[in-house]
Amino acid sequence: MLRFLISVWIALAALTLPAAAQPARTDNVEAELHAARASAAPGETFTIVLRQSIREHWHTYWRNPGDSGEPTELTWTVPDGARVGEIQWPTPEAIPFAMLVNYGYEGEVLFPIEVTAPASARPGETLTFIADAYWLVCSDICIPEEAQLRLAIPVAAQGSDDPRWAARIADAVAQLPKREPGVEARIGADGVLSVALPNMGEARNPRFFPFSRDVVRAGEAQRPRSGANGVSFTLTPGVADNLGRAALEGVVAYETRANGRWVQRGVEIAAEPGEPIAGTTDQPATISDSYPLAELEREAGGVSAPAMQSMTPAAVLLALGLAFLGGLILNVMPCVLPVLSVKALAFAGGVRAGEARRHGLLYCAGVMATFLALAVLLIVLREAGEAVGWGFQLQAPWVTSALALLFFVIGLNLIGAFSVGGSLQNAGGALTSRNGDAGAFFTGALAVVAATPCTAPFMAGAIGAALTQSSGVTVAIFAALALGFALPLTLLHFAPGLQRAIPKPGPWMERVRNVLAFPMFGAAIWLAWVLTEQAGPMGTLALLSVAAALGFAVFVARWGRAWMIAGAAVLALTAAFSWRPLVGAERQAVLVSQAWSAARVAALREEGRAVFVNFTAAWCVTCKVNEATSLATPQVAEAFADANVAYLVGDWTNRDEAIAAALAEHGRAGVPLYVYYPPEGNAVVLPQILSRELVIETVMGERE
Amino acid sequence: MNTTSRRALLIAAAVGAALLRGGEAMAAVATGAQAPAFSAPDADGRARALEEFRGRLVVLEWTNHGCPYVRKHYDSRNMQTLQQEATSDGAVWLQIISSAPGEQGYLDADGARARVATDAAHPTATLLDPSGVIGRAYGALTTPHMFIISPEGAILYQGAIDDRPSARPASLEGANNYVRAALADIAAGRSVRTAQTTPYGCNVKYV
Repeated sequence: MLRFLISVWIALAALTLPAAAQPARTDNVEAELHAARASAAPGETFTIVLRQSIREHWHTYWRNPGDSGEPTELTWTVPDGARVGEIQWPTPEAIPFAMLVNYGYEGEVLFPIEVTAPASARPGETLTFIADAYWLVCSDICIPEEAQLRLAIPVAAQGSDDPRWAARIADAVAQLPKREPGVEARIGADGVLSVALPNMGEARNPRFFPFSRDVVRAGEAQRPRSGANGVSFTLTPGVADNLGRAALEGVVAYETRANGRWVQRGVEIAAEPGEPIAGTTDQPATISDSYPLAELEREAGGVSAPAMQSMTPAAVLLALGLAFLGGLILNVMPCVLPVLSVKALAFAGGVRAGEARRHGLLYCAGVMATFLALAVLLIVLREAGEAVGWGFQLQAPWVTSALALLFFVIGLNLIGAFSVGGSLQNAGGALTSRNGDAGAFFTGALAVVAATPCTAPFMAGAIGAALTQSSGVTVAIFAALALGFALPLTLLHFAPGLQRAIPKPGPWMERVRNVLAFPMFGAAIWLAWVLTEQAGPMGTLALLSVAAALGFAVFVARWGRAWMIAGAAVLALTAAFSWRPLVGAERQAVLVSQAWSAARVAALREEGRAVFVNFTAAWCVTCKVNEATSLATPQVAEAFADANVAYLVGDWTNRDEAIAAALAEHGRAGVPLYVYYPPEGNAVVLPQILSRELVIETVMGERE
Repeated sequence: MNTTSRRALLIAAAVGAALLRGGEAMAAVATGAQAPAFSAPDADGRARALEEFRGRLVVLEWTNHGCPYVRKHYDSRNMQTLQQEATSDGAVWLQIISSAPGEQGYLDADGARARVATDAAHPTATLLDPSGVIGRAYGALTTPHMFIISPEGAILYQGAIDDRPSARPASLEGANNYVRAALADIAAGRSVRTAQTTPYGCNVKYV
């Protein structure tokens, strides 16, 4: 009985509530109009929404539906004097189907619409807005659906918010893509759309949605790229075929991090014809696996690592051989020799044969382990879509700083500023100069880390090959490299004859030890200079301050516990004030190579000019030697002028994906790389060790 | 090493897929360019090739009888009227069904014949392209998607049937039929004024 009474009451209540709108249900969509206001004042403008709750795996369309489909339409019947605005479209999603891409919405979507109550409306009256709605809803098939939607709003002298909808509607309005100050955009005749998005932050999966169907083909990859200043896209012209000749309007959508979650954002843009905006094309934009167009963009390339080409078994063997040779040569590179010399000196101290062999094997193991760790790291980074190359460790300011400090402390130790007592303050120096098992192992490890900047001629090719091969081949090539690198010193441990050739211990040893401190300081100075390029003058100041504090700390530690604590305190204090530039937190805007760009090369070649490209980096010793001895000579300059050769420099001191891609194109993963493009014909890759004559011959020879 | 080799396999698979996709990628034919040759069985089981219509104007119509956009043009007899006009002027009208088996619009030979009868359509032939080879060669995106090929085999028009991208029958009123306009231009010896438009309709239900 009670239940019956309640249901009667509910039925009556439903009949007597004019403001309650009924959701319209079609087969695939539940739709309803909602207002932000429970009551509206005469003449008041407020927001209502069309809510569509779309069946799972089905979608409705944006104002431009993409390759197929059509947008939702509302035809209004409203009270006299009332006004209803256009549908305001939320940021769409890209919905791929076979080779087509549609632009639309899935799940629940709110379309805000502005309405104005008639100024002549009287309090107590009810305004009824009726919309004849038509939409196309699709999954793999499409169904046009129609529904009549009603919204009744009472008029009051003072309007009031509807607590159920005011906040949600305000949020929906806030999320709408809008023109934002500072957002500039340019569209080039080559289809490159670049957008300055100063506040984009960490972002992924960017895509451009044009308002017009005819200007851009919807189903094509856009090869998004990003940089410090924004994003860019390479668009495929649609039927209108007017890219770069007319303004282009639309929405740039991307995902950004907010409160630890990825959320969709959209910005409305109006691009004017023009050249790309600087800092929007630096590297491929991040594409996540969850992105519906991930496959489309990845297949289009320019998003992930260089394309793989499989090697024949003979080529793999050759690469392994070259890697082994490259490893051998690394032993005599200037940044490795000092570390090895310290180790070699230990023999003069008279180590028993059995122990020497064990140390030899441990050294070999240290080298192997470090190389293989690098290989695994490279594979992981490559899989993560990072365009990395040999020497990438030195592209992080904190690694450069740490290595500079390590070399500085080793130098201090060699010069006798402090003795190694197994104290923790100089673990690096202790590890390498100690004769124990750990010392042998870590000498191997340190030697590898130190060797990375000195990309020896044979190594670049092998690693370049490794980076474009499968993970298995990469690991094998790194293992060959490690073997070549470890062999000489390991053999020295095993061959007693060689060991006997080492002079007897004596006071000379201390002197050699002290003298060896200076190459260490030299290495530290060089690293400090690299840091200047990476982190600017503030970075160098920070590094030198920390170095002074570190020197103080290790020097005073010998005077006892109180001094040790004081030293540690000074070091901690200095580090606390200066760590930021050293970890790259205040790294200046990436120095975009002004001279080299693939587009510049193409443009110059278009003009019929010969082009010489020098890919270099501040930390590349070979590069600097080549530049000093071969390129920066008056004779070469003269030859370049005579032959009308354009000289472009790609600076790889800091990580730069475009340059990494260019290196990969030539099968290289490191610098130096010298490419000569004759006015006609194919590009020529020059050897990694240049001579003046070779450069002149290359450039002049082409004239005949 | 196990995960390494699995990764390598995945990468190989991805590369393979990319190659396959590259091979079948949309070869959107340029207007004015040579129309891709094709050969396919029609609803009567005969093999029909584009070559056999050399010397005659050919209209291609991608169709899917379940698609609401196609329905708009057939239920209003808009499409049939156009077919009649074109074929009585000597043109060849080929319906092409590129829906994959199991997808909306797929028809076997019997089904296609019955559909032509039900709709009282007037095509010269209905070609069955369940593998989507012809559709992909032409870059057919939607149903309907229209092409006109000159007697010499060049694409004269490609795109939408008219300027009303809607499934609502009411939208036909006052529509500018691009195909009719192009056929009139060709008959008058003019160059086609609107030679390419963005097609609208349902996705072609490719494999």
